[in-house]
Amino acid sequence: MNDPVTAETTARTTAKEGVSAPSAADQASAAWHRFSGPQRLFAAIEGVFDEEGFFLILSVFIGIFAGLAVVCFRLAIDWTHLALLGPLPQNHSWRLFLIPAVAGLVVSVLVIHIFPAIRGSGVNQTKAALYIFNGYIPFRTAIGKFICCALAIGAGHSLGPEDPSLQIGASLASAMGRQLQLPREKLRLMAPVGAAAGLAAAFNAPISAVLFVIEEVIGRWSAGILGSVVLSAVASVVIVRGFLGSEPLFRIPVTTFKRPAELIAYAILGIVGGVAAIVFAKAIGFLRPRLKALPRWTQYFQSAIAGLLIGLIGYLGAPQVMGAGYDFMDQAMHGQFTWQLLGALAALKILATTLSFVSGTPGGMFAPTLFVGAMLGGAVGGVEHIFFPHLVGSTGTYVLVGMGVLFAGFLRAPMTSVFMVLEVSGNYEIIVPVIVANTFAYVVSRALQRTSIFDLLTRQDGLVLPSLEEEREETVLHVEDAMLPAPAIILSGSDYVDAAAARIRNSPQSVFPVRLQPTGWSSISRDLLERLNQEGKGEHTLGALLSAQSLPSLYPDLPLDAALRFVNNVAFVPVVNRADSRKLEGIISSESVFQRYQAKHPQ
Amino acid sequence: MSWTFSKFVPRSAPAVLLILTFAAAAAFAAVSHLVTRFNANQQSRARRLYTRGLADANASRYADAIDAFRAALVCDPQNSQYQLSLARALRDSGDPRHLDEAESYLAALWQRAPDDGTVNLALGRVAARRGSIDDAIRYYHNAIYGVWTSDADAYRRKARLELIDFLLQKNARGQAESELIALATFLPAEAAGHLQAAQLFAQAQDYPNALTQYEDAIRLSRGDDRGGATAFAGAGEAAFRQGRYRTAQRFLRDAITENPADENSHALFDEAKEILAVDPFVHRISDAERNRRIASAFANAGERMTTCAQSKSISLNESDGSSAPNSLPALASRWSAMKPDLRRMSSHADTDLPDTVMDLIFQIEQQSAIECGEPHGADLALLLVSRGREAADE
Repeated sequence: MNDPVTAETTARTTAKEGVSAPSAADQASAAWHRFSGPQRLFAAIEGVFDEEGFFLILSVFIGIFAGLAVVCFRLAIDWTHLALLGPLPQNHSWRLFLIPAVAGLVVSVLVIHIFPAIRGSGVNQTKAALYIFNGYIPFRTAIGKFICCALAIGAGHSLGPEDPSLQIGASLASAMGRQLQLPREKLRLMAPVGAAAGLAAAFNAPISAVLFVIEEVIGRWSAGILGSVVLSAVASVVIVRGFLGSEPLFRIPVTTFKRPAELIAYAILGIVGGVAAIVFAKAIGFLRPRLKALPRWTQYFQSAIAGLLIGLIGYLGAPQVMGAGYDFMDQAMHGQFTWQLLGALAALKILATTLSFVSGTPGGMFAPTLFVGAMLGGAVGGVEHIFFPHLVGSTGTYVLVGMGVLFAGFLRAPMTSVFMVLEVSGNYEIIVPVIVANTFAYVVSRALQRTSIFDLLTRQDGLVLPSLEEEREETVLHVEDAMLPAPAIILSGSDYVDAAAARIRNSPQSVFPVRLQPTGWSSISRDLLERLNQEGKGEHTLGALLSAQSLPSLYPDLPLDAALRFVNNVAFVPVVNRADSRKLEGIISSESVFQRYQAKHPQ
Repeated sequence: MSWTFSKFVPRSAPAVLLILTFAAAAAFAAVSHLVTRFNANQQSRARRLYTRGLADANASRYADAIDAFRAALVCDPQNSQYQLSLARALRDSGDPRHLDEAESYLAALWQRAPDDGTVNLALGRVAARRGSIDDAIRYYHNAIYGVWTSDADAYRRKARLELIDFLLQKNARGQAESELIALATFLPAEAAGHLQAAQLFAQAQDYPNALTQYEDAIRLSRGDDRGGATAFAGAGEAAFRQGRYRTAQRFLRDAITENPADENSHALFDEAKEILAVDPFVHRISDAERNRRIASAFANAGERMTTCAQSKSISLNESDGSSAPNSLPALASRWSAMKPDLRRMSSHADTDLPDTVMDLIFQIEQQSAIECGEPHGADLALLLVSRGREAADE
């Protein structure tokens, strides 16, 4: 059988082997004899690496550099925080009130005059670099992001360091790719590889980082880049752990899940989390374009005013909402706050983060999302505990599950949200509550707002980028959707021309499929068959005459897009059974394909 | 290779990798230097905060201590000493909500050093605060058999003493006694240690072992007036609780001599004296004296029964076949019936009679105590003698 898909794969593999493996060996051998001493070693190494191998090694270096950059970034945030606010900010301190506003003013000036491309979280910008700018992210972006985010987060703006780390990693990788003058398709991939490294280093969670980059930055599952993304993420995490220790972000308390009935309580948390995520997303989606539309001079003060309001929240008694807030998530996990306070902190954090983000202050959404989720989880758990004291697990469990809930509902990264909680907690006992709660949050959030926050922000900026979430929703057409029933008459390669001509005489068909021996398919038209018969070739078999004209065949489950390459210039393409390629399931023609597409997307 | 590198780097993959390796090494060194300096700065700041926290904790200002330790940990997050101190402050703050956090800090430290005596002791104390006997035993045992950097014996002893104290509070007397026996085996030759062990044995109502430890403490505390007085008093009480009233009298007399203000010893001494005066079963008394004591006890018991019945408005004349054999009317009936038999005691005709009379006396005293509460004087002495004999029979 001449299977197009199989044939193509084989051809590609053969071509690849023909080019890469033998030529690499030849190159190594030639180089070995041509050079002497250290040059021989170089030549040998050069012969070993093909382009793909080199890219993988480069990914490790990207991970190392991104990891080092993130270490410096975290030190910068810590140093700024300690220098400006002190190790443990107290309520009613003048610093809380003034520092975020002053920092906001400084950041605004830097963003407007020196680093205009660093607004926002960095996730969309990295995605845009991948799809629009051929992987190009100016190195200045990394510098600007580093300085401005360290200042803003350290001064107490309600933003996180993860998304900026992602963009810093992407920017470093992009700069490295440009310096090495990588081909365009490789340069384009540098941004997500660096992004995964940056995010993994910031979050100390390589699996979540890889999944997030696939879900939100690349926007589609692509096996080609997966190896590089994983390598860079792991390398960066190793670097960060080497410098900053392997301590997890939180001290995880004992988390338990014993009774299936508890899932009801987690489902309620998921629903509440989904609604909170929508409130959060709507607030940002509503305010951001309006503030951007204000006169340019107001942009100098937007971040400062946001800082002033956040400082006021801290001054009046909730300094927990300032900065990334990991320490307070840790305390919430250990039952340090009442459910009322947890609920209030969740609401105030949504307000503070919305203010920081819509004012154009550069910084990430990860940490605030986790904070809101943690507090909301604890609060919902506390309330449920009042009504169902025997049903509800520990506060720590609810806080952990809550983190994933907001992640799924607000960032709309359901897979990342599950793995993030598992990776952070290191506890697989809570996987079922996490999946249940996250699913509810995701479904509620998606039902109330179709567009995710990242897509919303992208569209507000006038860009259209691929979305994995939308791809997931899209129905993929298969060959079977456009397949026509198998014709009534199927000729065999062993049939004689005169017998075949007699057989088709009363048939309304104009073209007939021919099953060749031992495998394969061909077709013959009524006109050709009758002409061959009249030319005196009635004693010949169809197989002998048509052996050079075999048709490609398709399987019913193949994507319909794959059929497009084969239906042109032929009357039909046979669709055969995967288990028995001689069994004709149906046929597909260019008309049937286009009709099916038109039915899916009517004009 | 078919693809091109930058104009700034040689067109060779090994060269590029070499340059990247050098660049990474240089960046690594630079970041190392930066991190080291930053950490040194942070650690210095953390030490100042930690010192402040320790001062607050020592002054029982736990809220301030917690803030200071938290701030120290912000600056030096992986410092085990700070984590341990914060965990202790959280535990000792008295706020039950803090116990979870304290435990999680300690659990993290435990995972790093599961045989560390300090961490296990702290975890044992958290478990004790929670009232969890199994966890407390586990962590205290880990502490007892764990690694201590200095003064290991003293810390191990302290851990065991705390465990015993906790078990006694939880009324787990059997487990407490096991721990006490283990403790006593390895006690050093110091009066204080034996005294503490004796007190715990006494708390566990293991009076024989308590008396042994008190005696060791007395032997080791010669010249220590205060320690001696406590040991004498304890030994006296331990002997008294065992029914060894002569020994008790001897120790209590010494205790009163050492500390005349010791009212408990005075009371016990008087009680022992009374018991020895009324008990017909003590050794080295003549038959006549024994008969006199029985007769006196019989009269006392009758009087006690009558007084008690009057106070509770119980008629002693209403005894019939249906009343319980231990009810006061039934006992009164038996007492009246036995009264004439007392005269026969001096005749030696009936050798079982003294025991039969004393059994009735003991029943009357016990039932009266149930109906009317603990008596005083000779009745109390008789009651204690009866309980001592019951215990001896068991």
